[in-house]
Amino acid sequence: MSWEPIILTLRLAGLTAAILVVVGVPIAYWLTYSRWRWKFLVEAVVALPLVLPPTVLGFYVLVAVSPRSPLGQMYQTLTGHSLAFTFEGLLFASVLYSLPFAVQPFTSAFGAVDPKLVEASWTLGVSRLKTFFRVTLPLSAAGVVTGVVLSFAHTLGEFGVVLMVGGNIPGVTRTVSIDIYDEVQALNYSAAAQTALVLLLFSFVILSVVYALNRRVWAVWPMR
Amino acid sequence: MAHEITADFEKVYDGGPTIRAAFHMPADRPHVTVLFGPSGSGKTTILRCLAGLDRPQAGRISFAGALWFDADQGIMMPPQRRGIGYLFQDYALFPHLTVTQNIGYALAALSVRARATRVNEMITLLKLEGLEDRRPSQVAGGQQQRVALARVLAPHPRLLLLDEPLSALDVPTREELRRELRGLLRSQPSPVMCVTHDSVEALTLADEVAVVAGGRIVQVGPPDEVFSRPVNAQVAAIVGVETVVAARAGERTDGLVALEVGSARLWAIDPAEQATNFFVSIRAEDVTVAVGALPSSSARNHLAGRITEVRPAGPVSRVVLECGFTLIALVTRQAAKDLGLRPGALVTATVKASTIHLIPR
Repeated sequence: MSWEPIILTLRLAGLTAAILVVVGVPIAYWLTYSRWRWKFLVEAVVALPLVLPPTVLGFYVLVAVSPRSPLGQMYQTLTGHSLAFTFEGLLFASVLYSLPFAVQPFTSAFGAVDPKLVEASWTLGVSRLKTFFRVTLPLSAAGVVTGVVLSFAHTLGEFGVVLMVGGNIPGVTRTVSIDIYDEVQALNYSAAAQTALVLLLFSFVILSVVYALNRRVWAVWPMR
Repeated sequence: MAHEITADFEKVYDGGPTIRAAFHMPADRPHVTVLFGPSGSGKTTILRCLAGLDRPQAGRISFAGALWFDADQGIMMPPQRRGIGYLFQDYALFPHLTVTQNIGYALAALSVRARATRVNEMITLLKLEGLEDRRPSQVAGGQQQRVALARVLAPHPRLLLLDEPLSALDVPTREELRRELRGLLRSQPSPVMCVTHDSVEALTLADEVAVVAGGRIVQVGPPDEVFSRPVNAQVAAIVGVETVVAARAGERTDGLVALEVGSARLWAIDPAEQATNFFVSIRAEDVTVAVGALPSSSARNHLAGRITEVRPAGPVSRVVLECGFTLIALVTRQAAKDLGLRPGALVTATVKASTIHLIPR
C-alpha cells in the first residue's frame, strides 16, 4: 500500500473544506437573508452537483480550465502554467463538486438562529457584519462544523470528477479512489483492500463526528 | 419641536392590516408613554418602526430634530445608528454568552476597564450579583428580564422601547418587577415607550397612555383619564369599565389605609408597600347604589353623591355619579328603574374596602 495517494487525498480534502468555509459562508449568508425574488435560481445552481453525474461536472470543469477557455487563459497568464491536469485544477473541481455539502448545512444553521437575537444585536448598535461574527456564526457552530466535515468527507471519496479533471498523475492528481481502482484493474487485490479499509475507517470516524455533533453530544455550549 | 419625538407613519402588511400611528412625545426626559391595547392591534409594529426594525411605507419619524425615517426622501436610518434600547418580549438574550458578556455586548467600543466598570454598575443596579458567569439558560425568568434590562440600559440609550416587558414572567415575579421597573425607568434619563396589554402595568408605568386599536392610536392622555373617561365605546371596551382615579394615602390603621380621593375619603386594604401616591381602581360591578337610609353594612365605604349620567347597556345600566370624584357603577336596568336612578338623583354608593385595587405610583 502506498501512502502517497492517501496524503494527497487528505491534502485535497482539507484544502477543499478550507476554501469552502471561505466561499461557502458568504454564499450561505446571502442565501439565508436575501429577499431577492430570483434567489431560487442561485439555490438550484448551488445544489446542481448533488444531482449531476460527476462526469458531467468534470467535463465542464475540464472545458473551463483548458488553456483555450477564458478562465484557463487567465490562470495561465497569472501563474505561467496550465490549470488542466494539475492539483490546482483538481482543487477547483472539488470545491465546485462539494459546494452543496458545505452551503446547505451552513444555510440551515444560519436560518435556525432566532432572528430576534440578530435584531437585538442591531438595536444594541452592532453592525450587520459584526453581528454575524458575534451572534450568528457562534450559534451556528455545529452546522458549520457539519458542513466542513461533510465536504471534507465528500472530497475524500470523489472519483468521477478526479478521473475527468485530474487524470492519474502520481503525487499530483492520483487520489485514493483512483489508486484503488488502478490496483483492482491490476488484480492487486490486497493493496486495494488495505487502502479501501483506510478510507472506510476514516469516513466512518468522520461521519460519527458529524452525527455526534448533530445530536449535540459534544455541544459546544448548552443550548437554550 | 427640537426636544420631541414626532412620528406619523403607515405600515402596510401584504394582505394584512394597515398600522397607522401619529404621535409625539418628549425626547429629553424620562417620560413613559404606554401603548395599550389588545394583542394584534399593532402596538409592537409601532415599536419596531421606531426602532428601525420595520420600515413603514409612508410618513416620517424624527427624534429631537434628527430625521430617522422619511418615506418621501427615502431616508431610513438603520437601528444601529438610532441609539435606542429595545427590550424584546422574550428578552432575546444571547444564549452563548454569559450574563456579563450579554450586559457588555453593546460596549465593545469602550476600553476593557471602562466596560467592566459599566457592566458592574448595571449588575449592582439590577441586583444580579453572583450570576456574572452564568448563561441565560441557567438563570430564572425574572433574572433573565433583569439581564435584558441591564443590557439595554448599559450603552445609555436615547430612547427605550419595551415590548411587553413583564408578560413572560410568572405572577409573583411580575408583581415584584413591575414595582421595580417604574423606579428604574424614572431613575434613567431617557424617554420610554412601552407596549402592554395589561392595565395594571399601564397604570403603574405610564405618564401617558396611548390606546391602540385596529392599527390606530385611538386615545392619548394621562392614565387615569384614559381609563376613567374613554372617548368612545371601542376604547371603553379595551380599558374595561372602571373607575381609575389618583389618590394620596393618609391615616393607616388596622390593616386599612385611608385615601384622599378628590374631596372624598376611601378606605382600602393597606398594601405592603409604603407608597403615598396611588391610582385607585374600582370595578364598576363592585359598586352598589342605594337610595334613602342605609342599613348597617360590612362595607367600609359609603359615599354620598349625585348621579350625572345613566346609560343603559344591555341588561345593565352604567351609572356615573359625582361623589367627590367620578365613580362608575353597573346596576341592572331593573334596579335602576326600581330605585328611580336618573341624572340629578341623590344616592349613596357603597364599595367594599377589599374590592378597591391600589396601584402604587
